[in-house]
Amino acid sequence: MARISTRLILSASLLVIVQIAGLAQTRMPQLKFTDRTLPNGLRVLSAPDHASPTVAIQVWYHVGSKDDPDKRSGFAHLFEHIMFKSTKNMKSEMMDRLTEDVGGYNNAFTADDVTVYHEVVPSNYLETLIWAEADRLSGLNVDDANFKSERDVVKEEFRQSVLAPPYGRFFYMIQEKSFVEHPYKRPGIGSIEDLDAASLKDVQDFHSTFYRPDNATLVVVGDFDPKQLDAWVDKYFAPIPRPDRPLPRVQVKEPPRKGESRVTGYGSNDLPAVGLTYLTPRQADPDSNALRVADAILSAGESSRLYNALVYTQQLAAEVEANDEVREDISLFYIIAILSEGKKPEDAEKSLLAEIKKLQDTPVSAAELDKAKNQIVTDQLRQRETSNGKAQALGEAAVLLGDPNRVNTDLDKLQAVTAADVQRVMKKYFTDANRMVLYYLPQASKPKEGQ
Amino acid sequence: MIMRRRSFLLLLCTLFFVVNLHAQTPQATPPPPAQPRSVAFPKPVEEILPNGLRVIVVERRESPLISAQLLIKNGGEVDPAELAGLADMTASLLTKGTQTRDATKIAQEIESLGGSLDSGARWDSSYANVSVMSSKIPQAMEILADVVRRPTFKSEEVERLRQQNLDSITLAMGEPGSIARFVAARVVFGDDPYGHPISGTAESMTRITAADITKMHSRYYRPDNAILVIGGDIGGKDAVALATRYFGDWAKPSTELATPGTGRRVTIVDTAPPTGGRVVVIDKPDAGQAAVLLARRGINRKDPDYFKGIVSNSVLSGYSGRLNQEIRIKRGLSYGAASQLDTRRDVGPFVASAQTKNESGAQVADLLLGEISRLSSSPPADVELTPRKAVLIGNFSRNLETAGGLVGQVGSLALYGMGLDEINRYINNVQAITTSDVQKFAGTRLDAKTANIIIVGNAKAFLPELQKKYPNVEVISIGDLDLNTALLKKKQG
Repeated sequence: MARISTRLILSASLLVIVQIAGLAQTRMPQLKFTDRTLPNGLRVLSAPDHASPTVAIQVWYHVGSKDDPDKRSGFAHLFEHIMFKSTKNMKSEMMDRLTEDVGGYNNAFTADDVTVYHEVVPSNYLETLIWAEADRLSGLNVDDANFKSERDVVKEEFRQSVLAPPYGRFFYMIQEKSFVEHPYKRPGIGSIEDLDAASLKDVQDFHSTFYRPDNATLVVVGDFDPKQLDAWVDKYFAPIPRPDRPLPRVQVKEPPRKGESRVTGYGSNDLPAVGLTYLTPRQADPDSNALRVADAILSAGESSRLYNALVYTQQLAAEVEANDEVREDISLFYIIAILSEGKKPEDAEKSLLAEIKKLQDTPVSAAELDKAKNQIVTDQLRQRETSNGKAQALGEAAVLLGDPNRVNTDLDKLQAVTAADVQRVMKKYFTDANRMVLYYLPQASKPKEGQ
Repeated sequence: MIMRRRSFLLLLCTLFFVVNLHAQTPQATPPPPAQPRSVAFPKPVEEILPNGLRVIVVERRESPLISAQLLIKNGGEVDPAELAGLADMTASLLTKGTQTRDATKIAQEIESLGGSLDSGARWDSSYANVSVMSSKIPQAMEILADVVRRPTFKSEEVERLRQQNLDSITLAMGEPGSIARFVAARVVFGDDPYGHPISGTAESMTRITAADITKMHSRYYRPDNAILVIGGDIGGKDAVALATRYFGDWAKPSTELATPGTGRRVTIVDTAPPTGGRVVVIDKPDAGQAAVLLARRGINRKDPDYFKGIVSNSVLSGYSGRLNQEIRIKRGLSYGAASQLDTRRDVGPFVASAQTKNESGAQVADLLLGEISRLSSSPPADVELTPRKAVLIGNFSRNLETAGGLVGQVGSLALYGMGLDEINRYINNVQAITTSDVQKFAGTRLDAKTANIIIVGNAKAFLPELQKKYPNVEVISIGDLDLNTALLKKKQG
């Protein structure tokens, strides 16, 4: 008997030690980097990492879909495609010759606030890529045939992401209907009409307005020598002049919502979908951390509240998803459910609202809070397994959060989020007046005209 | 919303390729590369436990993460003809309840560790994966062993998954691209094992019972039919000790193990003339785009021509591959065109595909066919071939930079009985392929004349043009499509 109780006591205290050790180990390794700004305004962030003989290069331009010119929705994204055509010293697709052909890759993306170009190449090609990125920042040299053919590609991208998938139009409407004043109301993929209206002159204007060294951040992570990198950056980027024109910035403020709004759309989907959206603060706001934890509690994994309630227990939904889609000016927290066969959107909406209310009424347990933080930290670890992932995290902190040090400090702040913080942000932002509800129903259920 | 310039993600890097660009002035032409650095991939170590379980460990210490994958050497190919989706249902239900944990508890426990656990079936294998911070690996391995060894397949979980699968099938049947892939498998493999949708059909889903699932589990889930791969921030000894602790007492049944590939499977002799040449249109009038596929039999994983095959495919596929050059870059007809040579235990499919506006459906089919033919009539000279090899080697190398990628690669080699040292021979094997290798492979193994064409879209927009060239085109309305049979059509009445 005595032996047994001793073992029990022992294992109980071991458990405590393991848990403490476990918590301590959830801290992220710090990402050490160098931060430097050239006289022409280009910011350069770099972090050596010799794990593999490759290097990741990213150029973040602080211009995105919200800067699409009037009647040119989709233009910032179309422009991103054009950046792979002829430049001052490169012919079309030469970027692919310098990356893909030597065993690297390149890609780019356009978001509402930024456009990011990125490459991973064998590290002996770093100087070549610094030259190439500086070259396309210096100027474009695109002809009309290339422009039109790439515009056709983007129109196919529109069809492939919006028209062909059964819920493509649903996600398009979520953004379109969630904002009323801010240019965020124009989805970044644009429309066929606005794309057709774009011209070569728009391309030149956009480049000279936004593609300038003081609107760019170069991020380099991987196998390089810092002194050599500095010399190459000085050689190729420093001569690019900083224009004396001011940089235009979107000034429009999205007004607070004054009451629930409801929208219904119809599509080629067989199963109805329901979306709820709430305006949440800009990405750099301190509340973003608590909202990120709330997001994980609601929707990360099969133990999350929404999956457990709507998919597993009530079997109302085939899929459920929540996301605090953070943006520079104002963010959008959306929750969507694609219903199971034979289920009513009204019931799914009620159930989603009940889960929100629970988070507002009762603080989450310590275990659930820890689980959410562990999920977020492990996700970050996975993102930062590669040089490109580390560069992505650095660029986001510098450009969207305004301080590259937040690549490290935000994760500490996230660890400090309490159950009371989560409850507070749920009460503050998930109000009836701040809600937009979107029903997306099969075309066949649309009421006929005149009935 | 974020858009990518590429419709497919091109992974990874290399080291031995030099572009012929010579600097005249520093600004006008790119500076040449410096000396390349060499690369070394981790060396897998392995041990077979007394119960027959093969344990493989690949150490990679850069990040504090570990991935572990338990592979069963059978998957969707052993589904009985009437029960398409049985292997996938069996594997998916592993995480939905064991003798000591229900589904909620499993998700709760693994996610509290910050980890993820998923399971399912592919062709030739079923899997359960965990990915977790290295400090949490013992707890995660205990859960992994529990779900693989002691699942209960409770009827309420079977019913829940059945409904979820039916909903997923409804979603997939709304998308031209996924419909086209289902149809292509039936066209290429007919009623043979790789012909059905791996997640089942609306009809087969209603037939599968809990008893079928239990039977499949007891037949295939046994240590001597399994491989455990552990990769990342852990040493070989520690990993084998963990494997022994949680899987060492997994008893090997006294019944003899059915060798993989027996049963209903017919081994396809891949030199026999394939039954090709069908042209099938699935008419979906509300499709926002047409999905165009060209499909035929390819090769199996152990084929001596494997490296010729993947290099040939790389000439066609990838961002600057011939398909995307012709269809996207030159003509703006698609967001992306690509091909896959999907090698399996038996002969797998070769598929080339692109999505385009409905009006261009026939033109894109022509372009796909043309490029496949051109691979043998106009094979790539070194100036084209060298970069396409670099793409393959780069993808391969970058994939090994993460714990998950490493485990996936090694697991696949082990599954097909390949030497694990192929990881370190991959670069040389790719480099050895020549222009005439590609030409010969393309002419004999990817013959376009025997390929099938599948288009899913609004037929009105492209059918007249297609019929001019292919009077034998079969048109099936989406409402009449039956994926349970190679005929593809529901019986009348």
